[in-house]
Amino acid sequence: MSRYLLLVILNTPLIIAAMMNTVVGYKLGHMGRRRFFFGLSFWLLIFAALVFVKPIYSYLFSNNLTQTEPLSLFDVMQITGIIFTLFIANRAYGKVDVLERKVQDLHQELSIKLSEKNNKKTRN
Amino acid sequence: MVGRVITDLKNVFAKSGYDYQIILVDDGSKDETAVIGQKAGVHVISHILNIGSGGATATGLSYAQAKGFDIAATLDGDGQHSAADVLKGIKLLDEKGGDLLIGSRLIDTQGMSRVKQLGNKGLTFVTFSLFGVKITDSQSGLRIFSRKALNELKWKTAGYEFCSEMLWRAKQLGLDIREFPIRAIYTDYSMAKGQNNWNGFNIVKSLLRRRIMELFGE
Repeated sequence: MSRYLLLVILNTPLIIAAMMNTVVGYKLGHMGRRRFFFGLSFWLLIFAALVFVKPIYSYLFSNNLTQTEPLSLFDVMQITGIIFTLFIANRAYGKVDVLERKVQDLHQELSIKLSEKNNKKTRN
Repeated sequence: MVGRVITDLKNVFAKSGYDYQIILVDDGSKDETAVIGQKAGVHVISHILNIGSGGATATGLSYAQAKGFDIAATLDGDGQHSAADVLKGIKLLDEKGGDLLIGSRLIDTQGMSRVKQLGNKGLTFVTFSLFGVKITDSQSGLRIFSRKALNELKWKTAGYEFCSEMLWRAKQLGLDIREFPIRAIYTDYSMAKGQNNWNGFNIVKSLLRRRIMELFGE
């Protein structure tokens, strides 16, 4: 099997999952329109780069813009690892962001509710 | 010090004719702040965890919003703002309008050290450069809010950088931002409690990050 094809096969599920997370996050109101478009464009750009990696490499090599070796199996694994890390980081960032907001709101609400209780007690 | 701030506010507002309530937000402090507030008979909201001045201000204003206040004012608990200036700001907003009124310490800088002036002017310049908000003192804690501002204004940062972010959000919402001169009172206590210029770097870093993240739709 071609290494270029292997690269696409290994990474396509990750990119589809990342794009789905972005769409779901937007639809559930966890992110704004701008962040949604940025996220979607980011993953589409990565997907396009993976699909066209062979013609891009051939163009760069034939125009003397790179002297690197063609894609090795190690490169495939390394690129997949990097994309997986990006996927995890993006997911974690989104979750932390939502949780941070929830914790802040909860803490605020709790403090106000407790204060009402405590202030009533003090008055009595 | 917080006890004296409460007493001053009570003395000034008792004669003002306004129906008022004093709210003390204790941001998880380890000292007697909450007890002093309760003894003084003000409404005390205690944070379980220390969040930062931005979070404490948000809590106080959220309470004011929930209670349907027409006007709310924030001031620092270190005694650097006079109760008379708070009342002056409230009257100004009440009579002349506006949504967010900032008590500027930099229109009349008497009593403020050159180092403090430099730090505050620097952060005001950063606020203008990053967010385009033209104001003389972006870091002042004395702020007066209309009901519209109370209902609409929200910010994300919890630390000292909220001062600049709040102005930015107010500008984004199209709120009417105004300012009026105040005289800051610097004592050994307020000098020790206030932020130093080195913290300014952290504020700039955080504001820069927030500005960049906003470009990507954060």
